[in-house]
Amino acid sequence: MKETPLATDGQDGQDNQDRALVKRCLENEPDAAPALVDRYQQRLFNVALRMLGNVQDAEDVTQTVFLNAFRKLRTFDPRFKFFSWIYRMAVNESLNQLKRRKQTVTLGDDSDLMASGGAAGGADHIAEAEDHVGKALQSLKPDDRAVVVLKHFMSFSYQEIAEVLGVPVQTVKSRLFTARERLRAALDGGVQ
Amino acid sequence: MLTRQEMELIQQEIDGANTPDGSAALRSLLEQNPEARRVAAELRRVAGLFARVGERQSPPHLKQSILEALPQPAGASPSAFVRWVAQKLDVVTHLLEETVMNKKAVLIGSAAAAIVIVAAGLITGFPPLGSGAGTIGGVERASRYHGRAMTEADVSLKNPEIQALFQNDQILHLVQSDAFHQLMANDAFRGLMASDIFHQLMASDAFRAIQASDAFHQLQANAAYQQLQANAAYQQLQAKDAFRGMQSSAVMHQLQQNAAYQQLQANDAFRGIMASDAFRAVQANDLFRGIMAQDAFRQVMANDLYRNIMANAAFSQIVASNAFYQLQSADVFRSLSQSQALSQDFMREAMRSQP
Repeated sequence: MKETPLATDGQDGQDNQDRALVKRCLENEPDAAPALVDRYQQRLFNVALRMLGNVQDAEDVTQTVFLNAFRKLRTFDPRFKFFSWIYRMAVNESLNQLKRRKQTVTLGDDSDLMASGGAAGGADHIAEAEDHVGKALQSLKPDDRAVVVLKHFMSFSYQEIAEVLGVPVQTVKSRLFTARERLRAALDGGVQ
Repeated sequence: MLTRQEMELIQQEIDGANTPDGSAALRSLLEQNPEARRVAAELRRVAGLFARVGERQSPPHLKQSILEALPQPAGASPSAFVRWVAQKLDVVTHLLEETVMNKKAVLIGSAAAAIVIVAAGLITGFPPLGSGAGTIGGVERASRYHGRAMTEADVSLKNPEIQALFQNDQILHLVQSDAFHQLMANDAFRGLMASDIFHQLMASDAFRAIQASDAFHQLQANAAYQQLQANAAYQQLQAKDAFRGMQSSAVMHQLQQNAAYQQLQANDAFRGIMASDAFRAVQANDLFRGIMAQDAFRQVMANDLYRNIMANAAFSQIVASNAFYQLQSADVFRSLSQSQALSQDFMREAMRSQP
């Protein structure tokens, strides 16, 4: 899963493809919107899932992000990166969702992240790792969690994370360090 | 104690972000500093654990849901517009018939709306069959209730079933309550009772059949459902604009973003009702689905008067009361709600019972 949206043909190539798709969407080409959804829905869903720890919420957030993105597509400035734009929406919408809950997401035994159905390979040890990681993630502050999700699940560089979150690179590093310290503590005792 | 720069070197190495010089500096540090080796090992362990977690497949229906929720492209051709409308209609059918487990609030909301309409019919009297007039028995009685004192002449029928109902202290308390008074005086309530759309719905064979069904009765008697009715978030949700417009997936989306909806999803009573056999039985009932598919039903729910009632504190209080729960659970309830004479008797007795 470590492939990033930028990894297949390089960042510039990816950006160009995104821009072309956005342009086609704005020209109402019928296949453009499905292509753009295809391109990002899986990853945005995963960002939301790791942020929220709940499949249904992640699904709702993903849908909301696309809806907002298409509504605001004409305001998208093609000089910037589309992926930064839409990932930022996903992170922000997830943060909004967390605020709406007005409570910390806790992962009990019925947590969606406990299920192994979607874990690669489906092996027990992977499901166990997913369980530990899911719980540890939810112990982080949402802002720190966002950095960890983008770093570890999306394999973004510091610079890319900074662009998505709209913060300086040093802030990304600082949050990542803080988050990892906390993750170390959270994972101690349950993870080999 | 490691310095900030040393910690950064370790972290950047794990993230593959060190320059060659940085990596060399880190190697030197690790050789000399046991704490650095420990921290690096722990951070690698954390990173390694994340690396073992795979990407989740998104739900198979997600893409379609997203595409259906997207606004219609500006300037689309008429044929494209027709296809878009057809898609929306298909979504509605889909939601109502099958995959509603993802959008449960709509169905439970619909079920609740149906029940509340039944309740309203019960309290004010069932619309007279075959009558095209705008005034129904209950509204007429309600007007009288506020217009003049009852006389013995009004109490012409002493049905034993009705009398039995009023032997129950809680029911007696209900009809004597301020909430009951306020509801009877509410213009929206009376207006809805007198409306054609309400008559059409209540007079429909499907609506009566579902009322008489065991599954529907069980749902009404379900304790979790009673809790749900008393839930403030649920009551707020029912009064929202989004709730009335479940005909489009865009509105569905709006509903999902609603704070009350979010609270509702976290509500134990709501979850309980979702999991109840009674709810599932009602949900799977063809008659119930038929009701929800009726234009009259949708019109009632989209009606401003109805929405005003949903937002009415007195009405919420009545529906959430134990007395109302008992009333719904009573065997005579079905007879009451299907008989104008019985419902009028109920109202007469209610008025006669005023302190």
